[in-house]
Amino acid sequence: MAKRKDIAVIGYGETKVTLKGGRSSYDLAGKVLEQILNQTGIDKNKIDGLSIAETMSETSNPFWGVYMSEMLGLSPHWMQLNGLGGTSGIGGIARAAAAIRDGLCETVFVVASDAQSSGRNPEQGAQRGEFQYPTGLRGPVGAFGLITQRYRHQYGLDDRALAKLAVTQRNHALMNPNAVDKLQKPLTEADYLNSKYVSEPLRMLDSVMVCDGANGVLVTSTENAKKLGAKKMIHPVGYGEISNFKGAEPLADITISGFSVAGPKALKQAEMTPKDVRMIMPYDDFLIALIITLEDIGFCPKGKGCEFVMNTDLSYKGTLPLNTSGGQISAGQPGLAGGGLNLVEGVRQMFGEAGARQVSDPRNCMVTGIGVIPYGRNWGVSGVLVLEQS
Amino acid sequence: MSEPIKAPAKPEAKKIPRPLPRPNTYMNTQPFWDAAKNGKLVIQYCKDTGKPQFFPRPVSLANGKRNLEWREVSGKGTVYSYTNTFSAWPGHEDRVPYLVALVELAEGVRILCNLLNVKAEDVKIGMPVKLCWEKLSDDINYPAFEPA
Repeated sequence: MAKRKDIAVIGYGETKVTLKGGRSSYDLAGKVLEQILNQTGIDKNKIDGLSIAETMSETSNPFWGVYMSEMLGLSPHWMQLNGLGGTSGIGGIARAAAAIRDGLCETVFVVASDAQSSGRNPEQGAQRGEFQYPTGLRGPVGAFGLITQRYRHQYGLDDRALAKLAVTQRNHALMNPNAVDKLQKPLTEADYLNSKYVSEPLRMLDSVMVCDGANGVLVTSTENAKKLGAKKMIHPVGYGEISNFKGAEPLADITISGFSVAGPKALKQAEMTPKDVRMIMPYDDFLIALIITLEDIGFCPKGKGCEFVMNTDLSYKGTLPLNTSGGQISAGQPGLAGGGLNLVEGVRQMFGEAGARQVSDPRNCMVTGIGVIPYGRNWGVSGVLVLEQS
Repeated sequence: MSEPIKAPAKPEAKKIPRPLPRPNTYMNTQPFWDAAKNGKLVIQYCKDTGKPQFFPRPVSLANGKRNLEWREVSGKGTVYSYTNTFSAWPGHEDRVPYLVALVELAEGVRILCNLLNVKAEDVKIGMPVKLCWEKLSDDINYPAFEPA
């Protein structure tokens, strides 16, 4: 498929990430909507599409999306619920683009909102009751413990590279007023290395802290964006996604992710190679995921992710700025709205509105999403979005 | 903006017992638990392709058909990966630290399980292990592995 710039992202919004903030997912989403309307000056009634992420806090309500419309006073002609975990935000943009191109709607509010740390966790069921819970695997932390151990065995793992990622992201979070207060303190390599094991070899500082928060973007056709008088716009030019990567192969290598499929697909559509990527906002539930993501998308050969991290300036001033708002690991993970945190930062950077942490020449940005912990394999969903200026 | 709403009060965190499997809830797994009670580990095989699979599925992962059967496996395997758990899953607090592993069975599937009768520092990836059982209740024998 040839590269197109017929779809535009024209606004973004984000709440501060809070720990047990006590506000509902609806309330948080309302905050994001108001920000976007103020920022773009667009009338609420122009929004005729709603793409919404599934949550931990509200997903037990099977009508969550329609309730959200009611809460926000929207009457969408097209609605999409994305249960893709951290891929729901970028997946929402891709789906909105398809719906707009197909004439189902014109202007879509792509929102993710979750009050996970204030709310309840729904039971995921399936095989977990019989074949996971009795072992005591500590959920995502345990699953990433298994991935990390296997990675270490196959390729070696340089703890200094993980420490560098932790410190780089924390330094970015210290410049982000929306980051959760609890993590607003400097971090050193020694802090990371001395962090206690939760599911060895996985450390506490490898992991996200579950919080509350919401984020979203406004998506429309480039043509309509001009009609609406959009002040700023950027374009989704490449997208790749895969769920249940190698799901029918009982002996698939758990160190290889779906990014090995989704990354090249998104880049090809965007007519880019990894060298062309100006900055990257990769989904970071655990630091090892960043290493695997960089390798599988093709920034470096498999097994060389730590070397790549050690040899690359990933700060906002660097050659490949990474998670410049701190990532989820240092800004806090707003539940299943977590994937939108790095997405919104990508849009903010490309709009030139990142303040003290602004990346120079923000000509494009890659955003990734990871979702869902499967049984004994790599993660469940991998998505890659490439954004570019007009 | 309105005042923050009060989050619904969370129930007091009280200690729950180690979770027991709930047989036959999502899939017909009765043959698995019946065999386990007799100290036998059975897994599904696709009768069309001869391929094994674990955990139990409604269809063959190889061809999507329902021509499946349960067959006993040898109980021999190797450690594919493992993690030493310090932060417990609810109900496992008394077991900390405990080892959770992916064991690769000789038959060609991996099973998520506990490693028993071995210290964390003595576990190696690739290490041969054999099936053993943990009696979780009168009805439930749960498969685990130990050094071969």
